[in-house]
Amino acid sequence: MSKIKIPEEINYKRRRLCGVAAVTVAAARFDMFGSADAPSNNVSPAQQPMTANGGTDPYPIPWLDKFGSHNQAAGPNNEPSHIYHFKGRVLRCNAFTGMGTDNQGNRIAFGAPSTDYGVMQGEYWAARAPQHGTFVHI
Amino acid sequence: MVPANEIHDFHPPIAASGLFWVVPVPEGALTISEDGNSLTLEMQNVRVIDQPRFPALDSIGTPARMTFKLACKSTGEPVKYEDASKHFRFTGTRASCQLEAHVEVPSIGFSWKSDPLNASKAAFAIIGEEVNGRYYDN
Repeated sequence: MSKIKIPEEINYKRRRLCGVAAVTVAAARFDMFGSADAPSNNVSPAQQPMTANGGTDPYPIPWLDKFGSHNQAAGPNNEPSHIYHFKGRVLRCNAFTGMGTDNQGNRIAFGAPSTDYGVMQGEYWAARAPQHGTFVHI
Repeated sequence: MVPANEIHDFHPPIAASGLFWVVPVPEGALTISEDGNSLTLEMQNVRVIDQPRFPALDSIGTPARMTFKLACKSTGEPVKYEDASKHFRFTGTRASCQLEAHVEVPSIGFSWKSDPLNASKAAFAIIGEEVNGRYYDN
């Protein structure tokens, strides 16, 4: 780890800033006095010590499609899951075709080679630990 | 909904992580048969966007809602896809899938409802188990 030397002048200013900060914190504590929501140690949740392992949202697959998205078209030999570091059940399907009706009574077809769905249920790795969940790609 | 004259394209937004059009499945929305050969996913009022000009980078997404039912069944025909360079292995079977959906775009007063489930079909579908990423070598 590299160290940064603080010149005396800057250090002095820093001490002055700390002094101002201390007054501000004291005022803030006064304002919170008697608040039912205040934590018992008078430290806001944002200032509480916490872990920092990243979020539990799944990672996308690393591969990019021709449009630059972390997406693989459904098809033989393609990655079926949209979640990386994953093990579990997968459903992948595409090229839906069908018909429907809009609220004006117009008959409108749906479906294209890229009309796809994917279901993933199982374990995935995020926040440096195994997570479990069920997800759908629409 | 058909590429040549596509007028709507419904999907979730891409996540900040790059996770592509994936949303969590609520408890109870996914039903799997005891033998694991059939899967039904039903979700109501999924928050999606209508983005007809995707994948254009400047394509506008209009908030929309989607309710859908996806039903898939294994055909029993075995399938195995594996790519060691991409660290994924899928083992499963081909499947048949059908979809019915209802979409609404409140801001433009548009809604559309598909014909019943059995009036649709998917040209490609697979169902099975996958491992990828850190789970591939374990």
